[in-house]
Amino acid sequence: MIYEVFARKSRGEPLRHIGNLSAPDDELARVYAFSTYDEEKWFDMFVTPRDRLIEVFNRRERIAGTREGA
Amino acid sequence: MSQTAAASAVVHESAVHDLVLCLADSKRLLGMRYAEWILGAPELETGIACASMAQDEWGHGRLLYALLKDVTDVDRLEHGREPHEYRNIEVLDRPTADWFGVVAINALVDQAITVQLEALTDSSYAPLKQRVAKLIEEERFHSAHGAAWLRRLAAAGDESRERLKAAVKDVLAPVTRWFGPDTDAARALVDSGVAAASGSALRARYLECVAPLLEQFGVDAASFANPDFGGFDETTRRTAGSAPDATTIARIRGDKNRMFLMD
Repeated sequence: MIYEVFARKSRGEPLRHIGNLSAPDDELARVYAFSTYDEEKWFDMFVTPRDRLIEVFNRRERIAGTREGA
Repeated sequence: MSQTAAASAVVHESAVHDLVLCLADSKRLLGMRYAEWILGAPELETGIACASMAQDEWGHGRLLYALLKDVTDVDRLEHGREPHEYRNIEVLDRPTADWFGVVAINALVDQAITVQLEALTDSSYAPLKQRVAKLIEEERFHSAHGAAWLRRLAAAGDESRERLKAAVKDVLAPVTRWFGPDTDAARALVDSGVAAASGSALRARYLECVAPLLEQFGVDAASFANPDFGGFDETTRRTAGSAPDATTIARIRGDKNRMFLMD
């Protein structure tokens, strides 16, 4: 399963996408994120399975859609 | 200083020296065992985790050796000792046979070292106290990595479960023994405030930490509460006369890098 990794440097800063990793479960995803992205001193870090990201909109497809409509 | 106080200060100093050296050597050997799996681990991500843990352990080892600079030659400690002079946890003497072996040491040896360090967070020996919190903080993901893999392998079918169980049992006996017997020296460490606990109290604390992991494959933690101390040398915390693998020590000492050593 692919997980997306998010982190921020300090409290209040927006959460930033910093990369992704492959892991069989949430527990290993946490430890892999910690060891893979440990080169910087983060304030906090989160992982989520990629397929749990719910798309709101996507500009690329909207443009493609416009072309189709044109 | 009275004669008794002077004598107790010497005992105190040598007990601290022994404790620090056992920890430093264990960390160095543990780092080597992780490093052996940076390439060839079952997943790229877990190889990266091994690299990260190896670096943590070597960094901690260096920091702990440096604590001994007033009482011994640190350069000799790091680069000049023979295998029989090392005081690492015995189960690290030889490379792990397979991935089951490395998961077992990751989950169980790393945790044992953490439990020992936790007993030093309020140490009367200030240089140790100042550094221990940082070490515990840095290694908090080590046993989490081991525990996650242990659960994964325990759930991966009968063969995997049985091989893991065998690897775990091989590790548990020497590791529980490593905390040592309840002797006068062990009590002195607590009485002088160097450590909050020693011997069977630390072993009980450790077994409490690992019991939930062991339950998954029917290993009873309580059965390891009373190790056999036959042949155990309390100073080195290992079997008298035993030694780590010579090839391992040659690599750890950096024999091939001697020409690069700078003053």
